[in-house]
Amino acid sequence: MPAKPILRRPSEIPPLLRGEAERIAGWTAQWQWHRLALHLSLIVVGAGAYGAAMGWWRDPQQALFVAIKFPLIILLTTLGNALLNALLAPLLGLNIPFRQSFSAVVVSFAIVAAILGAFSPLIAFMTWNAPPLVAGAGANPAYNFILLGHVAVIALAGVTGNVRLFQLLVKLGGGQRVALRVLGAWLAGNLFLGSQLAWILRPFIGSPALPVAFIRSDAWHGNFYETVFHTLQTIFH
Amino acid sequence: MNINDPLPPQIPPQAPPVIPPATPRTQNALGDDPAERQPISNFLAAVECVLRHPRRVMFQLRQPGAGKLIGALLFVSIVCSLVYGAVVGSFSGGVQWWAAPVKISGGLLISALICLPSLYIFASLSGAQVRLAELFGLVAGLLTLMTVLLVGFAPVAWIFSQSTNSVAWMGFLHLAFWFISTAFGLRFLSVGFSHAQAKSNAGFNVWVIIFMLVMVQMTTALRPLIGTSDSFLPKTKQFFVAHWGECMDQASKGNGANRD
Repeated sequence: MPAKPILRRPSEIPPLLRGEAERIAGWTAQWQWHRLALHLSLIVVGAGAYGAAMGWWRDPQQALFVAIKFPLIILLTTLGNALLNALLAPLLGLNIPFRQSFSAVVVSFAIVAAILGAFSPLIAFMTWNAPPLVAGAGANPAYNFILLGHVAVIALAGVTGNVRLFQLLVKLGGGQRVALRVLGAWLAGNLFLGSQLAWILRPFIGSPALPVAFIRSDAWHGNFYETVFHTLQTIFH
Repeated sequence: MNINDPLPPQIPPQAPPVIPPATPRTQNALGDDPAERQPISNFLAAVECVLRHPRRVMFQLRQPGAGKLIGALLFVSIVCSLVYGAVVGSFSGGVQWWAAPVKISGGLLISALICLPSLYIFASLSGAQVRLAELFGLVAGLLTLMTVLLVGFAPVAWIFSQSTNSVAWMGFLHLAFWFISTAFGLRFLSVGFSHAQAKSNAGFNVWVIIFMLVMVQMTTALRPLIGTSDSFLPKTKQFFVAHWGECMDQASKGNGANRD
């Protein structure tokens, strides 16, 4: 049977968002390129749109850069941890093959990206209404309000994606305890790598005091956790 | 049926439900499941079984001709430790591209060989019915699971090794990955040991501590694994706690924040 083009499959997006675990479990059991392409497209479009809305405040060029970087972080995290996630699942009691664990993670990120994409017009509207980003914006209430907006939307998307992933893992035969263990391990790994990738690919909102750039010249110097550690040292000394 | 019929309908006699006798929940013997009796043909199947069907590996290790399986497990361990070693060596580059893989692979094998006799002694003292060859196979399975998991961690380790200059930080990260991988490997060994009918696990638990200490000390004995040095092996002997203390001191002074 010829593969159906991606755009003929938009009807698969609502069940994805509703988290119809049985149906999604069936999808992950069969490796279908057009379905994978649909989920990857959702990630690229949804996270890209959100990234563009985020970067627009600083500069239109920054919007383009962040529209590329946001999906890139998700895709690199998925790829970077694919083998580890596939190894951890059977060791923690969920005997699923590599392709199924990979598909499950991609599905959860697709849900996250769909939510981010849906909120991107709101974020863009918020940014459009905000005063221009200027140096020393840390004390600006608008800056703090927008930051808070980003935190809320990303947290909502992240929590929803993980709840859906949990439901999927339960359906895949793990039971609640095993699903929780696998989810915890996957989440820890993805957060660990994702935070560092985000650190390397900074800036996102972009400081007005620094030029617009895809990545900073010191992107590969130091890491996220070292910086957090040094910040804590500064606070407590 | 007529509702005015005085006779009630006849119900066919039913046999009382059969209640299975209450049996204690015991562990099935290895090989009870026919799938566990299927031979493991190649090293890829060996990896698959260590991850998904560890009981099959444990059963096969008890069969005559288990040497081939042990060889496959050791081969996978060596290849995977070389791969992870290359990622460790990528931090400093140069000589470490080959030195770190050789040291890590060799260090793991030597640690296992050093500890194998004591494992056999502890197993025997615990009353376990187990042969040395079977224990060797279980340790090979431990190494396989551990190194395969380390390869799973390799992309994350590589990202961090390219984005920091701190030897102390990379050392901490590699130790964390090693610890997680070893915990899963030891779980495999523990399940295998539980089929040996030992009267007590105390000896096994002591051996686990010894094995961990030997591996950690091996990282100091074979230093540098992450940073660089003008010699392949260290010129001075040091206990790992003292070595770590020095590394932390250097890092806090800022001297550890480079690749030298």
